Amino acid sequence: MARTRGPVASEAEPGMRGLWLGILVFRWATFAWMAIAAATRWHTFRRPGLALAAVLITGAWNAWFSLTWGWRRPRARWVDLAIAIALLPVSGLVMAEGAISRELFFATAYPASAALTMGAGAGLAGLLAGAALSVGLVFSRLANGLAPGDLIADWANLVNGSVYYLAAAAATGVVRRVLVTSAAERADALEEAARQRDRAVRLAERDALSREIHDSVLQALALVGKKGKELANLPSVPPEELRELIDLTARQERALRTLLSEPPGEPPEGMMAVKAALDEAASGIRGVPVTVTSVGLTWMPTGTMSEVARAVHEALENVVEHAQATRATVFAEEVDRQLVISVRDDGVGFTYDEERLARDGKLGLLKSMKGRVEGLRGAMAVHTAEGRGTEVEFRLPMEEVTSGHGRERSRGGAERRADQGSRSRRPPRVARRDTV
Amino acid sequence: MVVAEAADGGEAIELANEHMPDVVLMDLQLSTVSGVEATRRIAEDAPAIKIMVLSATGEEADVLEAVKAGAAGYILKSESGGDIVDAVRRVHAGEPVFTSGLAGLVLSEFRRVAGKEAGEPGLTQRENEILRLVAKGYTYREIAEKLFISMKTVQNHVQNILTKLRLRKRYELMRYAIQKGLDRGPD
Repeated sequence: MARTRGPVASEAEPGMRGLWLGILVFRWATFAWMAIAAATRWHTFRRPGLALAAVLITGAWNAWFSLTWGWRRPRARWVDLAIAIALLPVSGLVMAEGAISRELFFATAYPASAALTMGAGAGLAGLLAGAALSVGLVFSRLANGLAPGDLIADWANLVNGSVYYLAAAAATGVVRRVLVTSAAERADALEEAARQRDRAVRLAERDALSREIHDSVLQALALVGKKGKELANLPSVPPEELRELIDLTARQERALRTLLSEPPGEPPEGMMAVKAALDEAASGIRGVPVTVTSVGLTWMPTGTMSEVARAVHEALENVVEHAQATRATVFAEEVDRQLVISVRDDGVGFTYDEERLARDGKLGLLKSMKGRVEGLRGAMAVHTAEGRGTEVEFRLPMEEVTSGHGRERSRGGAERRADQGSRSRRPPRVARRDTV
Repeated sequence: MVVAEAADGGEAIELANEHMPDVVLMDLQLSTVSGVEATRRIAEDAPAIKIMVLSATGEEADVLEAVKAGAAGYILKSESGGDIVDAVRRVHAGEPVFTSGLAGLVLSEFRRVAGKEAGEPGLTQRENEILRLVAKGYTYREIAEKLFISMKTVQNHVQNILTKLRLRKRYELMRYAIQKGLDRGPD
């Protein structure tokens, strides 16, 4: 759908400028002709003083109009039209009585420039200007002393003049409309082309990703088949082998699921998907079923997220070792510019007594997790009570993501420089939260 | 007591109408008519029947759609037989069977359009809180203890959430219809 209302689209500017330039040439050419014609017939005028004044005023106005680009301003265009209309009865007053239909018109073709200007500036509304000029033409006859009855005889000239003014306005009006419409259409087409290109890129990325996963899944499944056959030939199957096999299959299933459920959006350079990292952290845990849930799809700098994933893994290991739980849940969400991850189990819980925990040798993992998270400018909290299970909560600031710097604080200068390099190559993206 | 078994979606709808069971266990992976569509039809034809969806992983978008279409909850195929029977009993008793994965999906769903349109049913603070706790892995009993409210209150809140979820489906359809109508306007 093309936009045809409103201000002239900037894309139409080059075309419009050409139009205005053409009108400018017409204005000056006709004015010059008017002035020269007046000069050569001075002695035939009834009111030479008025003729001089008319020429001077018109010339001054035309100069001002041209220099200040009056065609852009509606009010200037109106004044221009008024002057052009005024020139018509003035012509009648200036020329010898009755000479108006026989001799060269005093104002020559100059008044038509007002029609051209109005058409180019206001579109087909310029036809009204043409109509007004046509009426003015009638008054030029009356001012010249023609009786209304003579007007009928002069009808051919009047009609000719009217058609001329109307056609001029219509011509530029149409040109303007065409320029604006085609500019809008061009803009729309460019936008659409850009959209298609983006879509094609994303589909290509998704294809590449799916091929990658497809290949690795096929290979893994082949391996599963092979292993399965080997195990089938054994007299008794060691459970550890079976578990490994199941784990391998589960991992492929997750990979396929990731492809199918997530939209084709790749994290920007230096970032990784939170959900993927947590899935990875939970995948190596044996002995307790782990569910990973997240709200929204968010990205974090790769280095930060790896550390967080390790902390989550340690929390889960803790659950396996001490909690005697039947299930564990990892839940991640973004709250107030913070990434909040909680690891909850339904086990026996404990009392957070540092001394006693230290004595029983249960403090190691807790300290390690805390250290990791605090090193990322985050915080860890433990909510637990005897018989009530345990929840470990990690909170990390996400400002780096939303402000788009993606800079790591826990690493040395080399990596920081690399990140800055990647920053200049591609504009960083804000964390997305609108999809599962 | 198992009254009937269906091999595909179409058969499921027919048998449901014929036998009017108390609970239907619906697999999402069905031929002819999809599990989601079958759920929707059975829920429309016989609202008294409680539908529980069987899911392989609990994370398919279909699970959310099934709940929106009228399922009372879902359970993983990998759960033990005893857990499944337990879940069937709870669904029959009117308890929504809500697992953490589903809670996460629902939270995302409500966040996705939070505040975008006036009149769209959103979650209250309390409902959000409860949903988040479910997503973290707390049982209804634990949530009740943590928030100092009764189990019944927790279940009511969860039921409200499910109702709002189904209302959202209607809003979605309305929005879709309006969009289509506008697109077909004079051009």
